[in-house]
Amino acid sequence: MGNDVFEITVNAVKLIVVFLLMVQAVPILVWLERRGSAFIQNRFGPNRVGPLGLLQLLADAVKFITKEDFAPDKAIRKLFYAAPVFALIPATLAYAAIPMSLPFMVPAFEMLGSTWGPYTFRVQGYEIGVGIVFILGVSSLAAYTILMAGWGSGSKFSLLGALRAAAQVISYELALGLSIVGVILLYGTFNLTEMIQAQQGPLQFTAFGHTITSAVSWIPNWGIFYQPIGFLLFFAAAFAESNRLPFDLAEGEAELVAGFHTEYGGFKMLMFFIGEYGHMMIASGLATTFFFGGYGIPGITPDELQQIILGWGFSEAGAGGLNSLIHFLSYNVKFAIFLWIFIQVRWTLPRFRYDQLMDLGWKTMLPWALANTIATAVIIYAVS
Amino acid sequence: MTADAFLFWFLALSTVAGGVMVVSLTNPIYAALSLAFTMVSVAAVFVTLEAFFVAGVQLIVYAGAVMVLFVMVLMLFDLKHEVESFARGKVTGAIKLLAAGLLAGLLIGAILYSSSGELGSSAPQAAAQIDSTKTLGYRLFTQHIFAFEALGVLLLVIAVGVVALSRSKGGTHGKH
Repeated sequence: MGNDVFEITVNAVKLIVVFLLMVQAVPILVWLERRGSAFIQNRFGPNRVGPLGLLQLLADAVKFITKEDFAPDKAIRKLFYAAPVFALIPATLAYAAIPMSLPFMVPAFEMLGSTWGPYTFRVQGYEIGVGIVFILGVSSLAAYTILMAGWGSGSKFSLLGALRAAAQVISYELALGLSIVGVILLYGTFNLTEMIQAQQGPLQFTAFGHTITSAVSWIPNWGIFYQPIGFLLFFAAAFAESNRLPFDLAEGEAELVAGFHTEYGGFKMLMFFIGEYGHMMIASGLATTFFFGGYGIPGITPDELQQIILGWGFSEAGAGGLNSLIHFLSYNVKFAIFLWIFIQVRWTLPRFRYDQLMDLGWKTMLPWALANTIATAVIIYAVS
Repeated sequence: MTADAFLFWFLALSTVAGGVMVVSLTNPIYAALSLAFTMVSVAAVFVTLEAFFVAGVQLIVYAGAVMVLFVMVLMLFDLKHEVESFARGKVTGAIKLLAAGLLAGLLIGAILYSSSGELGSSAPQAAAQIDSTKTLGYRLFTQHIFAFEALGVLLLVIAVGVVALSRSKGGTHGKH
């Protein structure tokens, strides 16, 4: 985690901050979802509590926390109480591995009579060499949460809903994993930071020893231009992974009530909620990183921006910090756009039937993802 | 005790505890969940050995796919608690003891072999300096290509067999 006390402390605090970032984004997203859906459906949405209904989140949180904490009579208590907690773990671990900005440089400084530093702090929970493999591995554990909740509730609706949701998550994990293989082949690395670095600068194709740079200099060198099919497959599979419409087959008022969280209420329900929004955030963060240049800004590289900021009269360290902050904002803008697409799609498309869902996953997306992988491999081999 | 040693003993103990729970719990679903826990612990041990790729694959394949399917299928069946975790009986008991003894002997032999001679002296830092994922890929597609392809064929045979079985009369997608 670090070489001395200061570095270890900062890295530990960073982990907590990333977790809180994720958890705190949830109420905002819930508000956005409710107001946004109302806007789409020509309603008002929550607009009574506070300005624009913003304090509705606080009221909801108080309601969730003060609700009676109960377990059904037939529930298996250990699993029933463990499942909501486990719902948070995969989402948190995976989100912490996504880089959110340029590394933050701290020059050497004096404190408590000794010299500390210089340090380089990454703006992410932790850096892992094989970032993608780790994120996929951790988020594949989310299926246990669903199964534990379904079995632990001791109710037939929960169990059926859990089996259905788990089957869906496992099926789409294949298409999700395969859709990323093209990206991995393209950049030749598992590391998310290296991928973002490969997407900086203007769009340019290298083929047969020639480099073709795009005439318009602000078109960035993003993965979406190389892997459009990969992006579509990834994004569609991400919807299914986070159990959102049009793939929210885990719920079904008519046949299995609310699916695996039928028996949950209050704070335990809220934790499932945070888990679901966490999966949305991971999907948005990964889509940004793989296909939209991560924290990069179109038309300008981090080094060029650093020079511009230095021109404004900042010190080296101050300019680095400001540069990092601007890139953090850039990442968050892209991230927010994807989150909004998630919400927009939920309130626009009708849901699939269960057999259509399985057909789409196994008979359409999986073959296309395989074809995309093979085509990418052949093209990369041919042009290099 | 250093942090590394503490981490190793903690992970080793939780792995073994998970393994013991797999065989001693009488409810099949808890046994399967314990096995999943064991696999996650093994992945964590891989991380402490700096084999990040193997750790990730362990999570994706074993913990995330194989065991999830196991748990799911177990929930679909109407399984009852086993009466006791170890069946009694002189002949079967003797066979079990024999099998356990053989396995224990094999493991102790492997540990003794690995800590002596050539393997025992290999430098632990060597793995961190080269790109272990790349090395693994090269090894898999050059040295071990035959085993790799044979396993692929085996999996294909299994997949075809499962499709053939499920399409026979009475399956959910059977002929009408």
